[in-house]
Amino acid sequence: MSKATEPQGLEPIDALDAKALPLNPRPVSRGLRVNVRGRSVNLRGMRRSPTGLLRWLAILGPGLIATSAGNDAGGIATYSQAGAKFGYELIWVMLILTVSFGVVQEMCARLGAATGRGLLDLIRERFGIAWALFAVVIILVANGGVTVSEFVGIGAAMELLGVSKYIAVPLGALLIWYLVIFGSYRKVEKILLLMTLVFFAYPVAAFMAKPNWSEVAHGAFVPTFKADPAYIFLVVGLLGTTVTPYIQIFQQSSLVEKGVARRHYGPERIDAYVGAIFSNLMSISMIVATAATLYVVGQHEIGSAADAARALEPVVGSAARVLFGIGLLGATLLAGAVLPLATAYAVSEAFGMPKGVNLDFRRGKIFFSLFTALIVIGVVLALIPNIPVMQLLVGVQVLNGVLLPIVLVFILLLINDKNLTRELKNTKLNNIIAVGTLVLITSAVVVMLGGQLLGWLGIM
Amino acid sequence: MVMLSQLLRFKLKDENDEQAPLSDLSVDLFEGEHPPVTGLYLNHSTKQKRSLPWSEVKSIDWSTRTIRVADLKAAQQETTDSMRKVVLLADGVMDALVLDLQNRRATRANDLQLEEEDDKLVLSAADIGSNAILRRITAGLYRRVTKSTLYDWKYIEYLRGDPGAVKSEAGKHLRISRLPPGEVARLADFLPYLHAAELITLLADPKAADTLEMMSPERQLQVFEELDEEQALRLLALIAPDIATDLLARLQPATMRSYLERLPPKQAERIIELLRYPEYTVGGIMTNEVVYVRGELTVIEARETLREPLKNPDFIYLVYVVDNEKERILRGVISMRDLLTAPDETKLEEIMDRYVITLQPLDSAAASARRVLDSHMAALPVVNKDKRLLGVVTVDAAVAEVAPRSWSEQAPRIFS
Repeated sequence: MSKATEPQGLEPIDALDAKALPLNPRPVSRGLRVNVRGRSVNLRGMRRSPTGLLRWLAILGPGLIATSAGNDAGGIATYSQAGAKFGYELIWVMLILTVSFGVVQEMCARLGAATGRGLLDLIRERFGIAWALFAVVIILVANGGVTVSEFVGIGAAMELLGVSKYIAVPLGALLIWYLVIFGSYRKVEKILLLMTLVFFAYPVAAFMAKPNWSEVAHGAFVPTFKADPAYIFLVVGLLGTTVTPYIQIFQQSSLVEKGVARRHYGPERIDAYVGAIFSNLMSISMIVATAATLYVVGQHEIGSAADAARALEPVVGSAARVLFGIGLLGATLLAGAVLPLATAYAVSEAFGMPKGVNLDFRRGKIFFSLFTALIVIGVVLALIPNIPVMQLLVGVQVLNGVLLPIVLVFILLLINDKNLTRELKNTKLNNIIAVGTLVLITSAVVVMLGGQLLGWLGIM
Repeated sequence: MVMLSQLLRFKLKDENDEQAPLSDLSVDLFEGEHPPVTGLYLNHSTKQKRSLPWSEVKSIDWSTRTIRVADLKAAQQETTDSMRKVVLLADGVMDALVLDLQNRRATRANDLQLEEEDDKLVLSAADIGSNAILRRITAGLYRRVTKSTLYDWKYIEYLRGDPGAVKSEAGKHLRISRLPPGEVARLADFLPYLHAAELITLLADPKAADTLEMMSPERQLQVFEELDEEQALRLLALIAPDIATDLLARLQPATMRSYLERLPPKQAERIIELLRYPEYTVGGIMTNEVVYVRGELTVIEARETLREPLKNPDFIYLVYVVDNEKERILRGVISMRDLLTAPDETKLEEIMDRYVITLQPLDSAAASARRVLDSHMAALPVVNKDKRLLGVVTVDAAVAEVAPRSWSEQAPRIFS
């Protein structure tokens, strides 16, 4: 405020010299000159939307976070396993998946903007209670599985840092529970996000490990098919960890939360595509880095997080274990908090129950119980002694892959419902790619399950 | 008394013993507190839905679960267009978001209760309990109804999630209109934006405008953009100019211009005036819908003169005394209390407070807001260098400016 140059409020206003009143010296921003009601006025109050780089930063957000959240414990385990076991051979799956992933994520974002509602809400409203219950069970199984894998990840990360998982996992769970329930989670979230930046070491490692680039290109552009059950198992795992049901739910509800209305949706679709491409480049670099360090020296099995960490050795040398541990801890704590929270949110919303962390315990009984139960189950299962960590992590991703087609069918039916999405309904191309993804995933799952069945029957 | 989940397992039988399963019921939501069933729907597939009016029903046989009708052949083919106009219980209301007005929250109707009321079947309650879900998925094996989860339909508002659906019925919904606008706004902040917009279209314009004013800024914009232009314009004319300005300022310039061109001249002028100030200045947080009066009037003359000007503005607690209405040179201020209690023949000049603290329109908004709060006045006037009265910064606007965002959303608006 300008310095008082006259005795305001001490003398009657009449007595004050008009000229002595301070004329504002502050420079003010240039306005927008508009012709309105027959005269030209300079409107400085207009909030102009940001342009240039700022505009992109405003758009990029939910999609980038949602898709990057896919690179959690299960993701890292699956990509590392794929790289170690089959070298560069599975990269072509990731390339196809980038298109599918982008299209599916964009569909979910669009569904969120067009309806302002979450996926389970829409399933409840459109298909009734029975299907909603079915979807809830699917989501609970899929997300419950991923939650377990996050706590396994916390344990593995802390063991790399030299702390026993029997201490680290319960403590980590308690920390997550406390932060979310008592509302200070938002502040901690940024620290966790910073910790995950460690994984930017992967793209660097992929280059520094000097992979055979012609082999990488071959793996990327020439699809190979193998009757090997392990190969198909990993393909389903890659599908499940990339196009995960929970990322779709997360993407949709974050668009709703961001408050994107249908008429402003247009530029937002870029966010989903950029997120998908970015996240998959990251995944591919994990495969390449692992293949170039482990596969080439003949280590084809990743038994523990310590093995996976070796992929970072070309960049950071002996610090690989610690750095990998820090990154993994950040990623798993982040996902370990978001997953149970998002699941409890979505489920209580579908049943019209009071929800949200701002409610007191009595009103949000179901919400809180669900959130707590998911964490408790996650901890208990993660602490089973002698659990084969890597196999479990990959197994959960395979489970996600198996459940994925069901969720995809719901999404496809909803996004093509003209009453719901109006002008934002799927284009033909959207539908072709989405149905193609559905067919691809379903057949991979069928082939895998069929193979397992034949295996049990002793035919193969 | 029957639950919809049970009724949907009834069959229709006519006098020629023809049979058909009942698939849905339509109701007239706007008819009374417990909407009557208006029609019966026969077929499951949407393509060839057929309906009978309720007047065709002869009797309901509860023991054999049969609804006797005159003639099933009289059923009308329904088209997609005709279906859009009716509200169906199973397809529409059940599972949809409903507002439980008693608890001021949004919930979902898990089942619906119907009651016979002289020859009619009316929608009497919504069941939001979990055993309603159990009833529905066990196909009639489980039948318990608990009274405690039944909510009287009298206090339930059904939303379709489509702001365009109820245009012609605006203002007819009495249930939601009984709540004060602040509570409606709070409810709307927690709904999907299409439902919130629909809620606004259900309200009569003055109430809708008040409700829109009290929504969070993001929600305001989302809802405003979903309204049809005519209604948007009507509401824009009614809401306080400072809030209307903040709303218009966030639209595309071309859209803003077209609204400004079509608004009533007075409101348009006020908004254009406010739009000239950047949001971080006093001008950006002030309102210019102020009550002012000439100082040479007596108290009784002032009361007479102010009868009209007092009707619209939100902020009326302080009346500003000016030289003449055209130039509005600020001379003093007088409170509404003084205006009502002072002797009739006293001149305003004699009782007004001349020691006025004023704000400058281009001063910093935050610093000036603190000054308003420190002064403990309901508002401080804003004047230009010629002491012309431009507007006031009310204590509400000051709180909104100073408080952290999460607070200002909770803080009730008292004056504006």
